[in-house]
Amino acid sequence: MLLRSLLAAVVTTIAVAAPSLAQQSGRELYERRCASCHGPDGAGREGLGPSLTGAGAAAADYQLRTGRMPLQNPQAQAVRKPSVFSEEETRLLVSFVASLGEGPPIPSVDPGAGDLSSGQSLFIANCAACHGAGGNGGAVGNNAAAPSLYASEPQTMAEAMVSGPGQMPVFGFSEQERNDIIAFISYLQTSEAPGGIDIGGTGPVPEGFVGWFFGLTGLVMVLVLLVGTGSSRAR
Amino acid sequence: MIRYVESRLGLDSWGRRALRKVFPDHWSFLIGEIALFCFIILVATGTFLTLFYRPDAAVVTYEGPYEPLRGQEVSAAFDSVMRLSFEVRAGLVMRQIHHWAALVFVASTVVHMCRVFFTGAFRRPRELNWIVGFTMLMLALGLGFTGYSLPDDLLSGTGLRIGYSALISIPFAGPYIASLAFGGEFPTENVISRLFVLHVMLLPGLTIALLGAHLAILWRQKHTQYRGPGRSESNVVGKGLWPYQALLSLGVMALTAAVLALMGGLVQINPIWLYGPFDATTVSAPSQPDWYMGWLDGATRLFPPWEPTVFGVTIPSMFLPAVLLPGLFFTVVALWPFIERRLTNDAAEHHLLDSPRDEPGRTALGVAGLLFFTVLTLAGGNDLIALTLDIQVESMTRFFRLAMFVVPPVGGALAYRICRQLRDSREHPLGRGSGVVLRRTEQGGFEEVPRS
Amino acid sequence: MKAERVVRGCFALSLAASVGLSLVYLAGGSRAWEGVLLAAALGGIAVGFILWATRLIDAPDNVEERREQKPGEGLGLISEVLEQSVTGVSRRKVLAGLASGAAASLGAALAIPSLSLGPQPGRSLFRTLWVPGIPAVDSEGGRVRPEDVPLSGIITVFPQGSEGAGDSQAVLLRVAPDLLSLPEARASWAPQGCLAYSKICTHAGCPVGLYRAQARELLCPCHQSTFDVLTGAVPVSGPAVRPLPQLPLAVDEDGYLVAQGDFSGPVGPSFWNLTQ
Repeated sequence: MLLRSLLAAVVTTIAVAAPSLAQQSGRELYERRCASCHGPDGAGREGLGPSLTGAGAAAADYQLRTGRMPLQNPQAQAVRKPSVFSEEETRLLVSFVASLGEGPPIPSVDPGAGDLSSGQSLFIANCAACHGAGGNGGAVGNNAAAPSLYASEPQTMAEAMVSGPGQMPVFGFSEQERNDIIAFISYLQTSEAPGGIDIGGTGPVPEGFVGWFFGLTGLVMVLVLLVGTGSSRAR
Repeated sequence: MIRYVESRLGLDSWGRRALRKVFPDHWSFLIGEIALFCFIILVATGTFLTLFYRPDAAVVTYEGPYEPLRGQEVSAAFDSVMRLSFEVRAGLVMRQIHHWAALVFVASTVVHMCRVFFTGAFRRPRELNWIVGFTMLMLALGLGFTGYSLPDDLLSGTGLRIGYSALISIPFAGPYIASLAFGGEFPTENVISRLFVLHVMLLPGLTIALLGAHLAILWRQKHTQYRGPGRSESNVVGKGLWPYQALLSLGVMALTAAVLALMGGLVQINPIWLYGPFDATTVSAPSQPDWYMGWLDGATRLFPPWEPTVFGVTIPSMFLPAVLLPGLFFTVVALWPFIERRLTNDAAEHHLLDSPRDEPGRTALGVAGLLFFTVLTLAGGNDLIALTLDIQVESMTRFFRLAMFVVPPVGGALAYRICRQLRDSREHPLGRGSGVVLRRTEQGGFEEVPRS
Repeated sequence: MKAERVVRGCFALSLAASVGLSLVYLAGGSRAWEGVLLAAALGGIAVGFILWATRLIDAPDNVEERREQKPGEGLGLISEVLEQSVTGVSRRKVLAGLASGAAASLGAALAIPSLSLGPQPGRSLFRTLWVPGIPAVDSEGGRVRPEDVPLSGIITVFPQGSEGAGDSQAVLLRVAPDLLSLPEARASWAPQGCLAYSKICTHAGCPVGLYRAQARELLCPCHQSTFDVLTGAVPVSGPAVRPLPQLPLAVDEDGYLVAQGDFSGPVGPSFWNLTQ
């Protein structure tokens, strides 16, 4: 009886202290892995990493899950790569960053509830100028590029919309609008091109190359082979 | 059956001569035929498309099978192309063959023009045919531009917007011309049906008429030929129209159609469902026109931000790259036979073709001109190249600006040198070449030994 | 002969492909198979005919003589015919002149109706639908408060009642007010750091939809003109010369954004008399 209540007391204490414990080891993890660029307590370091005050859980989760952080090169844009943190470590770091001030929380995502048609028109109106009509990405100038969306997961896409990483703006979409857009992007990721081989999906430039180097050059080569220069043709 | 026609039309002697008419036999003379057959395929597939297309800007709701657009308001024109692509059997194949044929049509016309240029076939008495051919190239550009704007999608609508801006940039008359052409201030409802009339009636009609003239002049003046044994300025050596040239031409037509059918069936082109219907308040990136308009896009990207004001009149920044530059360039191209006659003082008739090396000056100028156009066309895709190579877009722009001035003269000079060298040594450019061979000496070094 | 067998094979292949093509169509159609079979049908005929011409028939080179065309030779007949049309007429030059004049003026008169193709531009290029006091709405028609625009966010707005209007489209952005460095005269144009600029690029008219949030620059994807949002959308890179015209904003009593008047200058690409 005593043992059971003692056990209960211990468990309760741990449960109550767990979040702050999490923050404690989140802070430890942060100091070890992130503070060299982002400074102590997320204050930021000149030329290395911005302040994380007010960044919010969404931003942190996005950056960590897509492997963009830790950054390979502080001068270059962050790119997607395999995450170096485990699920547990990610959770710890995210809750630590969330505690650094008021920032957007992790948004909930349900692509199944999204409407494809609304998603398409929202995507074209807001996203296509940078990410391309087919979601293949695009150069946005000054060494920045909107990445291709083909490898993106619904969760991190929603987080990018609310936290505006890098040069991406912050979008004040409603939850339904986010679901719509993500449903559409998932459609793009999984659908087959109705016209055949999609040669990059970036429009007339690859089409022109194919027209010249496969179409015309192919035709001319066949003619050179079969017709030749008339009198020089072997019988 | 042939006797039936002949006895009613009295074609006996003309027919006999026509069937025996001689055309020189060289693969490079077939490039113009490729262009002709592309045009025929365009008319054939185009007729099919016309039976399904609605040139109407009225707003309808798309209710077809492509889910992401279902329920959206689109123009009837866009809706008709969507329905053709997704609901008409063989509709998408025909549409794709038509568009690939357009790309190859302009490409083969350009290559044909290059062949004529570099071999001097435009000289007297063929100056008129050069102008006819040049006009057909301009019509081809117009056909392409009007054609890909018909589906009223986001990408081609952006191109129309830029076309409108190019028109209003013309000093004094610009805003009037643009308003007349489009029927008001952009965006207008009229423009789709006007493009349709141009694309389906006026421009093809003119093209067919000029095509007839082009072939008639060619028939009358007889084809040119390369130098060779038995060939002179006063004869034509080659194979007769029947059976050789007729069979060959039929074969080339079928071959062109075969390659285009393969591309139309297997490779996606102009996926308007991805771009969505045109919306004047949105644009997607990258935004490029079809390749044959790419030089115009490149020129407008590369020109620096100049907008001088002359006596209170603003010369808009679009005017120089989009109106003046092409105007000057194409005038020089159109009048080239007369310009060359002035420069070389050569007013004689020529029926024997030059080898490009025989006229290093002309070849160098032609190479420089082609390189200039190629740089501009590639510059039209500068953001896509920047993305692929992971380079800053601004750097690509700077690189192309430099290339625009450096590459043509350097390329031309190089071509000149190569021509002179080939002319002197009388070698085939793709042959092994006499050259030298490196041989190891006994001491361990190397020495050059003439190739035996 | 080997070539003959190849040619026969080509035609046979073509025949089979044509049959296959019809079957595919009747069975419901398939874009890829339609293309491949059509290509095979045409290709068989193509290779068949080309090989027939080049390998099967014996077509030696023939020689045809060219007609000699002396310059000036052909004109004799033409000038004779022209002469006949004017014999018996006393003052040929006057007649010819009047005839040409009539033809030319008829041509001009017939061309005049082309002016019906479009309205006179008038002042339409100088004005948009923004008037003083009109609320700014998004594409659904909803009114916008400054708080509705996220910091580092971008929304497209229109004058109320004209959602989707091409010439009046504007981008609404919000930045921290202390970062702004607008010209003196526009100090009151950006309440709470809300900025509105014409969305039509002043270079070639594409919508400037790309916002580099950290750099606070608007980029036009067509030809990469870049505009600095903090200094009044002044172009900092690319071929545009004129800044994006700014829309003066104010906040009405209900807290919604309204326009104080039309843009600071003509929207869109330049034209010859835009300074008037």
